[in-house]
Amino acid sequence: MTPPDEAHPNAFAQQARDALQDEVLTGALRRATDLFGERRRAAIATVPDWQELREHARKVKAHTLAQLDHYLERFAANATAAGATVHWARDGDEACAIVTRIAAERSASRLVKSKSMATEEIGLNEALAARAREPVETDLGEWIIQLAGETPSHIIVPAIHKTRQQIGRLFVDKLGIPPTDDPDALAAAARTRLRAHFAAADLGISGVNFGVAETGTILILENEGNARMTTTLPKTHVAVMGIEKVIPRFDDLEVFLRLLPRSGTGQHLTTYQSLLTGTDPGGEGPDELHIVLLDNGRAKIAVDRVMRETLACIRCGACLNACPVYQSVGGHAYGSVYPGPIGAILTPQLQGLEQAAALPFASTLCGACKDVCPVAIDIPSLLLELRRRAVDGTPGQRPVRLRRSERIAFGLWSWFARGPRRFRFAARLARIAQRVPLLSRLLPPLSAWTRTRELPTAEGRAFRDRRRGGNR
Amino acid sequence: MTSARDEILQRLRGGRSTGPCSAPPPLPTPRLRAHLSQPIAREQLVATFRGQLAQVGARAEVVARADLAARVAALLTDAEAHNIACSDAPLVRDALASLPASIETLPPDAARERLLACDTGISSAQWAVAETGTLVLASAHERHRLCSLLPDRYLALVPMSRLVGHLGDVFSRLHEPSASPTSRAITFVTGPSRTADIELQLVVGVHGPKDVAVLLVDDL
Amino acid sequence: MSTRRTVSLFATCLGDQLRADAVEAAAAVLERAGCAVQFDPRQTCCGQPAFNSGYWREARAVARRFVDLFEHVEAVVVPSGSCTAMVHRLPQLFADDPDLLPRVRAVATKTFELSQFLVRELGVTDLDARLDARVAWHDACHGLRELGVRGEPRALLAHVRGLELIETRTCEACCGFGGTFSIKLPEVSTAMLDHKLDELQAAGVDVVASLDASCLMQIDGRMRRRGIRVRTMHLAEILAAR
Repeated sequence: MTPPDEAHPNAFAQQARDALQDEVLTGALRRATDLFGERRRAAIATVPDWQELREHARKVKAHTLAQLDHYLERFAANATAAGATVHWARDGDEACAIVTRIAAERSASRLVKSKSMATEEIGLNEALAARAREPVETDLGEWIIQLAGETPSHIIVPAIHKTRQQIGRLFVDKLGIPPTDDPDALAAAARTRLRAHFAAADLGISGVNFGVAETGTILILENEGNARMTTTLPKTHVAVMGIEKVIPRFDDLEVFLRLLPRSGTGQHLTTYQSLLTGTDPGGEGPDELHIVLLDNGRAKIAVDRVMRETLACIRCGACLNACPVYQSVGGHAYGSVYPGPIGAILTPQLQGLEQAAALPFASTLCGACKDVCPVAIDIPSLLLELRRRAVDGTPGQRPVRLRRSERIAFGLWSWFARGPRRFRFAARLARIAQRVPLLSRLLPPLSAWTRTRELPTAEGRAFRDRRRGGNR
Repeated sequence: MTSARDEILQRLRGGRSTGPCSAPPPLPTPRLRAHLSQPIAREQLVATFRGQLAQVGARAEVVARADLAARVAALLTDAEAHNIACSDAPLVRDALASLPASIETLPPDAARERLLACDTGISSAQWAVAETGTLVLASAHERHRLCSLLPDRYLALVPMSRLVGHLGDVFSRLHEPSASPTSRAITFVTGPSRTADIELQLVVGVHGPKDVAVLLVDDL
Repeated sequence: MSTRRTVSLFATCLGDQLRADAVEAAAAVLERAGCAVQFDPRQTCCGQPAFNSGYWREARAVARRFVDLFEHVEAVVVPSGSCTAMVHRLPQLFADDPDLLPRVRAVATKTFELSQFLVRELGVTDLDARLDARVAWHDACHGLRELGVRGEPRALLAHVRGLELIETRTCEACCGFGGTFSIKLPEVSTAMLDHKLDELQAAGVDVVASLDASCLMQIDGRMRRRGIRVRTMHLAEILAAR
């Protein structure tokens, strides 16, 4: 298998083929995606106004993203008024530098971290490790991945690609526990070890699910309790928040809380939600809260009228579970922190289309992602737009280097399809090519098809030839 | 040199100096589920709450205010509790009145390492939500962030009058300007700490409590 | 069947070239339902292959032809959910062309997928068909999710005598075709389908049916490679069977 750290979005085809060879992965993926899909269906069946909730959430996001500058300023002002320190980071490097500086200024060397996609996006762990301050991941799945030196394969279940036996062996190696593959025993071992980290930690790092402009509140959802530990026990809490996470009002949270857990894990609510507003002098929490507002390519998406919708994503993972491509090949194939349908539109925009042009094409446009999206993002239309941009380029960006043969092929196709005679001629050529076994094995489109399938056999003459000119 | 803040805001304005470049789509009025529903009978609320808790592997029972201390003592004795992390709520103080002397209680400001070693935590909750089986802990009212999180077992006391139907009921109350000081930390708790990170098999108590029980205190 | 409707049949590229029997059947079924069926031999393609691959300029040139050809007919009926959905998407393709846009919209609103046309427009569900077979239905993605075709084919199949409709858990799962996707990522394309085929095989069906020639080509090609002896049939072929 391609080592995940060398995975690249544009190597999707190879990485996907590798993934298909891994039976443990494909079996686990199928079980996970089926299970989450069923749970999601059961959970939303209990919500009669589900479609209205989606529509409401979509409108809230559309409104907010259209004037993100306004809401971000309000969020920052209110969070600051409540005692938080707000930092702004233009890109990942700047965000990492800010977090590193906060840790260094407090001589914090024992760091704990709860699950956060944004921090993975910017490689925060690596940046901190370079300064001997690598945080301990405390979500069980993320911790397993960290111990193994791998990358997550699923947004909700990061270690879905590993069996209990593999995790058991990992724990024997790294923690020196007696051999076991019992999930309860493995989780208990993790609890004990991570408790020691929590007890000693001087700085906790988390992500943010929602930031409320009106109050400066950040909301963090989870099931394990590690995010509560991370945001309560250490003296300093640093929350890294993508700028698209802001929503206008406290009351808007209710709709998103109804949508997110049901879509992600099929729970009515995840076990814990922490709604943190600034610091709590005299309370039980940390002395300091730092919120790092991360741009890293988001502002550019926000001002793109067509693609802006991408930022409405609330990271539930439902589109991954529903996507037949993801179900088959999993997250590593995408070579990005953000896999699946949402990753296929987000990654090329964050990293640049040239860097990840393969991803918008890694979809059959079946539309299952759009159906399950709790904020009704029209992912297929956005995939189509990115494909168009790959071919045409955009102002200020050259077209992506696609296969020359493809450009020629579509040029020819367009010419042939503009006249019935040419069309018949081309169709006849294709029929001949198809009947020649050597061609079907060697001629690119046919040979790709016949790698895994038989060629279609035409049912006699073409319909147009049966009906030439005739109306009935 | 422009600050990161100015530069990001500038990028978001896409070149315009201030204000939106075109009218943004309107913000829909908040949609709190509570507003859509009728008042719910108490028995129905309790049944829904218990049903939801059962689904997530927790439980609730109704106890009369007069019987609270005896019931709590019995529960803790049965559970062989030794050291209890307590919140500073008056209801908790009352509930622990009949505790055997062998059980040690610790206040919220006890040393961290001692709180981490407690086997049981006990607090009240500001609200409980029937539709999801959720406890709402608001820091302005009580210090219960740690005692509800660190021990293996968590016992929450909820005045019956604080049991509401929907999440929206809580949101509207949390946000009322007339409400007591806005809580800096609001925690929603729905059942025991859980994970399915190893082969999707459910494991409870991976970080927080593995056992969650609620006493609905009949305060009428 | 009070008023006799005149419909123009759009055969689609794949239907025309590879599944001519299905297109023939579609014409027969429409006639049986009381329509006068026209076929304009100047038709070629709706533009979807290029549109879905990002070649919008090439797609526009071809789609424009479709609009020119069909804007004066009463109704266009298409034995494909995918091509119908493409015609419904054409306004997105011509969004920058205010002159053409109204014409594009007008053609889109009178273009119908076959089963929708029969059931919703004509109110016909019983076409007096007979097929003794256990049939699994494959809900083709674009028909299902872009056009909302779900109940119509089932209502039609329910009236086919001798036919036993087998509902599978994976009936709504994509077959993996996806146009150029199928040749860009052939292994992924068929891995997606295999999951579905495993269930079809276990269910012991005689026929897998759908309303898109493209899905049927993918399913048939893979089944033959895997040696699965299940026949693929277009909905129209089932409805025409007697």
